[in-house]
Amino acid sequence: MEAKVMTSAAAQPPGTTGAAFERFFREHYPAVVRIARGVTGDEATAQDVAQDVFIAALGRFPDPWAAQHAAAWVRVAAAHAGLNAIRGERRRGHRQVLSGIDVPPAGPEEAALDSERRAEVRQALRRLPRRSATVLVLRHSGLSYAEVAAAMNVNVGHVGTMLRRAESALRKELNDATRI
Amino acid sequence: MRHVSDGVLRRLQEEPYSVPDTAGRHLETCGRCRASSAQIAEDAALASRVLATPPDPDGIDAAWARLQSQLEPAPGARRPFVRVPHFPRPLVNIPAATGVGIAAVLVAAGVAGAATLTTVFSPTKVATVQLNAGDLRAVSNVLGLGTGPGGLSNGSGSQQLRFGTLRWSSSGQPGRVASVAQAETQTQLTLTSPARLPAGVGTRTTVFVQPQARATISFRNSIAAPVGGTSLAVTAGPAVMVAYGGQLTGTSVPTLGILTMRRPVAASTGATTSQLENYLLGQPGIPADLVRQLRLVGNLGSVLPIPVPPGATSTHLRIGGSPAVLLSTASGAASAVIWESQDGTVHAVAGLLDSSDILNVAHQIG
Repeated sequence: MEAKVMTSAAAQPPGTTGAAFERFFREHYPAVVRIARGVTGDEATAQDVAQDVFIAALGRFPDPWAAQHAAAWVRVAAAHAGLNAIRGERRRGHRQVLSGIDVPPAGPEEAALDSERRAEVRQALRRLPRRSATVLVLRHSGLSYAEVAAAMNVNVGHVGTMLRRAESALRKELNDATRI
Repeated sequence: MRHVSDGVLRRLQEEPYSVPDTAGRHLETCGRCRASSAQIAEDAALASRVLATPPDPDGIDAAWARLQSQLEPAPGARRPFVRVPHFPRPLVNIPAATGVGIAAVLVAAGVAGAATLTTVFSPTKVATVQLNAGDLRAVSNVLGLGTGPGGLSNGSGSQQLRFGTLRWSSSGQPGRVASVAQAETQTQLTLTSPARLPAGVGTRTTVFVQPQARATISFRNSIAAPVGGTSLAVTAGPAVMVAYGGQLTGTSVPTLGILTMRRPVAASTGATTSQLENYLLGQPGIPADLVRQLRLVGNLGSVLPIPVPPGATSTHLRIGGSPAVLLSTASGAASAVIWESQDGTVHAVAGLLDSSDILNVAHQIG
């Protein structure tokens, strides 16, 4: 499933389907923001991503409970939008890398190390194939194998293989980053 | 039995009851698969460690409210952003200071801006000017703005001043946007969010964009040279205000606001900085103490005056190497810090926080 999140000003406002969509939002927002946070490493950016995802979802699924894949779609969209965000971060180059809102570091040295490590992780995620990065963040944001399978539209038996390859690739990327 | 596939070994780590028993039994007796399993477990642990996410934030209500606000026009979306750029509402607390205060700031910035003939100017540092309600009323009277809420409350318009005409316009409609990224796209400003917020601030609630605005004062021809017949154009913005925290009861004041704006620039069609300064400050009715303070600022062509409201204390310091002004209420309940970074961006961090918290946020940005 390829989800490209775009914020649309023409998205349908919550009116006729507002109650249903609000229920959908409240049920799935925690998972979406968690997935985005796993990719971006930044709470504020994750919340921005989650907003974009749900605005896009509203345009796509006015009544998400009637749509079979809406829950899976917002999860994959969160992963992809998060990856887009950190890729945009790389393009901006000098822009400060945001991180650490959740775990205040003990001191300047720890802060530097923490920030450096988070930047390495985001770089590694950027270099991985999108499908590998997606399965990683979906699984490590707490989705079960069955939920990951549903979100990515693959057989549940295939998730372990995808995950294993992705984790191996992530380790290699992080090792390479450390050597550099 | 054949060796267990890596995919099954991986799932065995977390969902052992979801894989056939035969896989588990094979693993107990196969050294090769155990070695693979150990490596898989190590990689999984590493991924789990580096991708770990903290607990879910409290704030679904705020997130839902934010989503709704993005889908429906905000009631105050048309209010020009220039009304709240330099200091937080709770800190200012000046009666009827809306349009009047902005006019005063525009005039001050305009004076600062007209460094040379027709040359666009950018102030490079900030300095404080003590202002009270009487000063603002006096400036308003001199300008001919009155004390009503008029001023720049619309996106464009004009108003007669005592010595000419004030016209203003905005390059677009101000309003809320969905995200910081969207605000950056619209304004071409680089926005830096603080990595750590002071305790109790809450999550980000609003991102508000003010497109670039322009105000022009056309001085009457009947005014003596060299000011008469000239125009002073002040361009401010674009600007972005990012608000954090819940709305306080009965007010619409966020706990923390971070303003980022392009520094104001100005051009004069015929008068120099000192000529404009002498003319405006020489108008009857301008409080003598205000004149004295502005004179003390020195070269108004390179300074952005920051009004200090009554009861507030000001401290000069540096943020990111640039001169900054810290304003605090006597109680310490609200603070603001304003500075201009070397790339020509004016920053303000303000909120219902003590000065140490405000400075902590400012240093992360600066």
